[in-house]
Amino acid sequence: MKCTNYFVAQPSVTSLSCDKNRTHTRKLAYAKDLFLGKVNKEEVFPYPEVSNEELEEINQFVSPVEKFFNEDVDSKRIDHEAKIPDETMNGLKELGLFGIQVPEEYGGLGLTNTMYARLGEIISLDGSIAVTLAAHQAIGLKGILIAGNEEQKAKYLPKLATGEHVAAFCLTEPGSGSDAASIQTRATLTEDGKHYLINGSKIWISNGGLADIFTVFARTEVVDKDGQKKDKISAFIVERAFGGITSGKPEDKLGIRGSNTCEVVFDNTKVPVENVIGEVGGGFKVAMNILNSGRFSMGSAGAGMIKKLIGLTAEYAGTRKQFNKSLSEFGMVQEKFAVMALNAFVMESMAYLTAGMMDRPGVPDCSLEAAMVKVFSSEGGWVCVSEALQVLGGLGYTKNYPYERYLRDCRILLIFEGTNEILRMYIALTGMQYAGKILTGKIKEMKKGNLGVMLNVWGKMLRNSLGSKVDLGLTGKDGVVHPSLTDSAKMFEENVHFFGTTVERLLYRYGKTIVDEQLVLKRVADVLINLYAMTAVLSRASRSISIGLRNHDHEVLLANTFCSEAYFKNNFWMNQLQKNAPENNDDGIKKIAKDVLAQRSYICSHPLDRTY
Amino acid sequence: MRCARSLVRIQSLRALTAAAGGTVQPAATRKAPHARSLIAHEPCGQALRSLHTACVLLKNRPVATDYQEKSEREGEAAKSLVTYDDLFERAALEAKTKATFNQVLDVFIKRDIRRRGHVEFIYAALRKMPEFGVERDLEVYNKLLDVFPKEIFVPRNYIQRMFNHYPRQQECGVQVLEQMENYGIMPNVQTKVLLVQIFGEKSHPVRKYQRLLYWFPRFKHANPFPVPHQLPQDPVDLARFSLSRIANDLDARVTVYQLPYTDVCETGEEVTQPYVVGIQSPDQRHLLAKHNPSRPVFVEGPFPLWLRKTCVYYYVLRADPLPPEEKVEEPVDPERCFYYPLQLELDLERDLGDDDSFDVDEVDEGPVFAMCMAGRGDQATLAKWISGLQETNPILGRTATVFRLESGVRELQSAAEPEPEARPGEEEEELQSRGVKQ
Repeated sequence: MKCTNYFVAQPSVTSLSCDKNRTHTRKLAYAKDLFLGKVNKEEVFPYPEVSNEELEEINQFVSPVEKFFNEDVDSKRIDHEAKIPDETMNGLKELGLFGIQVPEEYGGLGLTNTMYARLGEIISLDGSIAVTLAAHQAIGLKGILIAGNEEQKAKYLPKLATGEHVAAFCLTEPGSGSDAASIQTRATLTEDGKHYLINGSKIWISNGGLADIFTVFARTEVVDKDGQKKDKISAFIVERAFGGITSGKPEDKLGIRGSNTCEVVFDNTKVPVENVIGEVGGGFKVAMNILNSGRFSMGSAGAGMIKKLIGLTAEYAGTRKQFNKSLSEFGMVQEKFAVMALNAFVMESMAYLTAGMMDRPGVPDCSLEAAMVKVFSSEGGWVCVSEALQVLGGLGYTKNYPYERYLRDCRILLIFEGTNEILRMYIALTGMQYAGKILTGKIKEMKKGNLGVMLNVWGKMLRNSLGSKVDLGLTGKDGVVHPSLTDSAKMFEENVHFFGTTVERLLYRYGKTIVDEQLVLKRVADVLINLYAMTAVLSRASRSISIGLRNHDHEVLLANTFCSEAYFKNNFWMNQLQKNAPENNDDGIKKIAKDVLAQRSYICSHPLDRTY
Repeated sequence: MRCARSLVRIQSLRALTAAAGGTVQPAATRKAPHARSLIAHEPCGQALRSLHTACVLLKNRPVATDYQEKSEREGEAAKSLVTYDDLFERAALEAKTKATFNQVLDVFIKRDIRRRGHVEFIYAALRKMPEFGVERDLEVYNKLLDVFPKEIFVPRNYIQRMFNHYPRQQECGVQVLEQMENYGIMPNVQTKVLLVQIFGEKSHPVRKYQRLLYWFPRFKHANPFPVPHQLPQDPVDLARFSLSRIANDLDARVTVYQLPYTDVCETGEEVTQPYVVGIQSPDQRHLLAKHNPSRPVFVEGPFPLWLRKTCVYYYVLRADPLPPEEKVEEPVDPERCFYYPLQLELDLERDLGDDDSFDVDEVDEGPVFAMCMAGRGDQATLAKWISGLQETNPILGRTATVFRLESGVRELQSAAEPEPEARPGEEEEELQSRGVKQ
């Protein structure tokens, strides 16, 4: 039965029959439960697998793409000329890379998230191409895909899937990044009620100069329930052919220079009412869904890049000799390779675990997991590229080697699709909201001084302080983790338990005002990201040993190393979270920033200054 | 006890002086408090010390008696304090500048190799310094110290060192440093070299110098909002400076609504237009835009602002605080942020233990929308400010403006500029059209 093997990623079409049974169990997401100190192990163990047929299918896709990227893509030239050559673009179109996730009935490849992630590894070898493709299909046409009606899909998707038309996503405005209230672009209904006139300008639009189809968000006047007129955001499909669209000069960027980013101005662009995505006034939800679903592939992209860099750098470290020793014999160089391997391993594990979860039948909400993958892999990627460059020293800093280009390219990962700071807020607050709903009753009882509840809590604290081992059932008789990872699993369980109590304590202390405690939330998000990463490596390594994959002992080593490192970091952060602001340095940090920002400059006297 | 003893000594000293010289020296009276700080003396040193006192007295006595013998010099100069004052006053006739002041010092130094009467001269000079505008000039202070004869007052043996050697001279030296301290002048190495040359390493003036050097640098930047010694001369620049000082907002923009100018109209009368300088920050503009136009705004003033010794006056545009029933907290729009919830739907408040806010009784004050300074504090001038503000704050056109001006403080403008005879008619019309209430 396929349904019992729920962890096996299946094409959505074949598993339709199982959907009904799944949906209610699928409601719980794994990461949110961690906030309660629970490990919902059925969700993440065993590690998701794909069937043999699918694997073959993926490999069929992968090899030509890999060949194309190795032979026909000249990243240096793309970077230098700040343009992807037409023949490269045509090659990408021929490979079907413009419609990876568009269903086959609309002429796309109709690949699952897992397969998309696999392709993402290769596509990411050139940042400009990766961003161009992502802007096209991860956000550009996603609106039509997830919220469009049948007619819209039938009309637009086929041409978008082949790459005949390129899509762009127009949300950001000069005065509005993540704040919907400051969107100025306006869509007004014409008198005949058949068209909207869109006016306004959008900035930093990836593919803005190339695109033929735009997903545009604009204010519309909506009459709400009470009969009052209100401004609400609506999403529109806008064709360049509608007229009144001008694209500005492409921005001169630090990295991903080959991708086209520019301002797009809409001047009385006439859009038929049929082109509203979803319902009028429902654009906010559409935008949120697009943004939330567009992120997950970044994990595999980062991993793909690092894996390639490890190869390049190791070659150099093995051949370069100093003092009759090759670089690879020096401890500090070795450490850099270990860091790169660890990061690549963790990113990969997280990305494919998330992709697998998303591919399960039903509509699992994995936006939290996807956000975590994005944060972890963008930051890990930045560190690894920098370390790789460091191994080469001065050579890495020159344009003769690709490292500086990778460094520039991967810097954008920390910024776009929601900056990491904003995503951390999302991660922490979503979890806090979830945990808060469940824990409110208990906390209120405690605040009222309910002895029963308090005794219960004190009893738990006493037991913890006496050193009773936390057992969440990952190891032991019904365990899901391989025995060689027992220690790591124990650390993980301990962390999860501690995290649960920490979250409870935070809710007790801050209540709903925790929204304003960004430094607290940052640590909460960091701990959660580490916990999810630990889960992913434990799950993946367990599977690898169990089925005897090549070099699984190395995976065990990586998993154990990562887990013990993360364990210490988590404990440190959570200990800080138990403390008050003056003790965990938050007060100092805030005060420093306040002083500096009040003067808007660095305010210390120069060390050479004198007073007498 | 020691203080008391030294006080007694000072007093007896003064009595002696009085008896001997016949002239009561105001300087000595002034010095009395400082004498308290002098190191105590052992009774056994009395004889030795009185010997020195005698020296001082001897020096003093000639002021009164030896006068005739020295008549070939500009004799009366040496007689008393008054004569030294004379010296400065004569110089002041010429010009009260640093150059003339230095000249006087030079004259004194060259006159007598023994520097007779230098203590009195220095006291007189100290008093005259502000008059000559050199009270903040370190160079002059050093030159003044240079008037002291060198090496004579340096104790030569441990007994001298133990007691108050040449107390009047030391006190005078301390006084010079004290005046420097009062004006916030930091002594430099030259000062130290002079003091060591004059009084020796561990004398009271040198200790005073050390104390100055210890504390001055520490307090130099104690004031986060220092006022420069030299304020801008131009009233517009001064207004600009003062307004940005009160506003203390880096975003606030100063606007000059009217530059001062004098015009001769057809009838031959001089019409003086006062300056109008205002300041407003974007936050204030935002506040004003949200103001309910049915409630009036007020122009109030003048309020004083002291900048060292200068007092300037400013006016504010403000409104009454919102009555409690009109205060509406805008609910957070749940569809505001694309990425994360701006507030949690939780029924939990912050725990008392983590509530770090202080219990403050807040007095509700009305918002201040803008501030200005004007050459004249009459309504017509201030109305120009309001009409200038209207360009960036259109809401003012629909809001009643009430002028609540206190008369009385007009010193600043009254001296410089005469009151305008008549207000231009068009201005009044403009006022009325904007619904100005008086």
